[in-house]
Amino acid sequence: MAPSLFRSLIRCIFGSLILASVLASGAALSETRSIETAYGPVSVEGTPERIVTLYEGALDTAIASGIKPVGAVITRGGSSVAEYIQMQAGDISIVGTPGETNIEAVIGLAPDIILAPSYTTEEQFRLLSRIAPTIVPEVTMFQADSWKQEARVYAKALGRAEAGEASIAEVENRISEVARLMDGILAENDRKTALIRWMPQGPLVMAKGLFSASLLTAVGFNVDDAGIVKDGRPHSHPLSQENLGLIDHQWVFLATLNADGKEALSAAQTSPAFQRMQANRNDRVITVNGQLWTSASGPIAALNILADISDALTSAAAQ
Amino acid sequence: MKITWYYIGAWSLLLLTVLASLLLGAGNLPLEEAFSVLAGQGTAEARFVVMELRMPRLAIGLVTGLSLGIAGALLQTLTRNPLAEPGLLGVSAGSSFAVSLAILFGASTATLTTMVAQAGAFAGCGLVIAATRIQGVGQDPVRLVLAGATLTGLLLSLSSLLMLMDQRAADEIRFWITGSIAGKNWDQLLATLPTMLLAGALVIGLVKPLASLALGEKVATGLGHHPGRTRLMVIVAVALLVGGATALAGPLVFVGLVVPFAARALVGADIRKTLWFCLPIGPAIIIGADTLSRLLVSPSEMPLGVITALIGAPVLMVIIRTRRIPTL
Repeated sequence: MAPSLFRSLIRCIFGSLILASVLASGAALSETRSIETAYGPVSVEGTPERIVTLYEGALDTAIASGIKPVGAVITRGGSSVAEYIQMQAGDISIVGTPGETNIEAVIGLAPDIILAPSYTTEEQFRLLSRIAPTIVPEVTMFQADSWKQEARVYAKALGRAEAGEASIAEVENRISEVARLMDGILAENDRKTALIRWMPQGPLVMAKGLFSASLLTAVGFNVDDAGIVKDGRPHSHPLSQENLGLIDHQWVFLATLNADGKEALSAAQTSPAFQRMQANRNDRVITVNGQLWTSASGPIAALNILADISDALTSAAAQ
Repeated sequence: MKITWYYIGAWSLLLLTVLASLLLGAGNLPLEEAFSVLAGQGTAEARFVVMELRMPRLAIGLVTGLSLGIAGALLQTLTRNPLAEPGLLGVSAGSSFAVSLAILFGASTATLTTMVAQAGAFAGCGLVIAATRIQGVGQDPVRLVLAGATLTGLLLSLSSLLMLMDQRAADEIRFWITGSIAGKNWDQLLATLPTMLLAGALVIGLVKPLASLALGEKVATGLGHHPGRTRLMVIVAVALLVGGATALAGPLVFVGLVVPFAARALVGADIRKTLWFCLPIGPAIIIGADTLSRLLVSPSEMPLGVITALIGAPVLMVIIRTRRIPTL
């Protein structure tokens, strides 16, 4: 063997040895975090780059903490991610619906981490964990601060705990701002409201604990779902038109799935029962986007919902 | 004499369900208040609930019950099959598929829905009649129902496909397809009324030719009727009736089976007698089921289609199990 060839071979071996040790020390330097989840501690290394979110609140939190996921699920009643976050989410791959994940699509994206909803089953968790570390927050759903707890878990898993905390603080500031605005405009006894969707058969009453309803409560509205949304079915419950009196409050927030709120309002107004509601007679039905108000959660969604509430209050004051 | 008593019984049953549907509901309106509205008094709230919420439902229940009962009796006589029922044979499914399609393309006016539903029902009827021409299917009542179940399954999965295409439409279709007359008002009823009246007139004209057709084509021709024309007219009448009922209440299965079955059990297979009996029984079943739908899960309501299926499915079992199915 020629000496020059031998030397270059030695160099090559040494080179790769050095490179390997550098890589190993690099990995050792980047922190390994242990995240408490519903299915025990999950360890995550470094700052994940390729994120797949299987929950609207997780997508929202990731973007709020400054990173764009590569895959997400569609919003309820939509064909892509919710309209309010489409711009920020950009060109994102869809990997399923809130209730059903397309596992092959998730594998195809080769994620570093999967952010799953708190209602993920253990079976689903095990399956997803084989693809990437999967974070299922241990949070009771439909409580006033569920979204904050979820956001903290997701942000920590992403290695962006500070950014997550900052976005929560921003929402809290905004809540106090809107609450102050509210105090200047509406008397304490003029704040009773319900969040509903209107079906031809009658209203669908949204639970008091729903994300947007808890924000209404936070700024000072008195949300009353008449106790008809029972435990175990926490999202919403239909109500017979004969019982409309139960939610005949001063204000009604009417969530719509069509982009055009006016159209949905005039459809509801064709019903004699709806016409009789005091909120309708007093022009206090606020139409809001159903994707944002009845499906989404997270810090960015909160800011958008608070903006809607603030707009409604300002225009009420102008009347 | 016995039959007179049956008539009185059937009409009293209808009267009873009518009263119940006005007096009972999902609301917490006390019975006395509902009564006082019927006596021409009562609070504004009570008047609203009884006159504007329950009254239109009652009227719509009456019309759909009449239509489905009569359509069932006509279809059974025409196909000579006691299991021939618009819901089971896919006529309702054809109608609801057509409406789903219309909703997907943005239709919302009641008038359009009625016409679309009737066109869909007509197509469904055509397929049923075509199936009876297939060797072996027409002669065997159960096989015809199997053919209908296949058609229904196909149309339902096509409707599901439409729902997947557009989530907004899916919402409307899903609530409509389970069958319900809640939240319907006079406008929707008025929109279907002209075609329903037309169908009623057709049925009156069809009774005699249909009765003679039951004796065989040759006899009918001998008596001066035209079997081909009679058949076509029956299909038109059934399509108008089922389409109208479907536009009002969504696809309700089994009503067209139960009503003529009960009528035949009481007065025999002669279409002239059966039809008279379908008049009170059809509405009584729908109105009774609708009242139940309001009471079972108060403060919300159960879809009417669920209740009619719960009543109808056992009847289908009974017909198939307890006797050799007679061909009419």
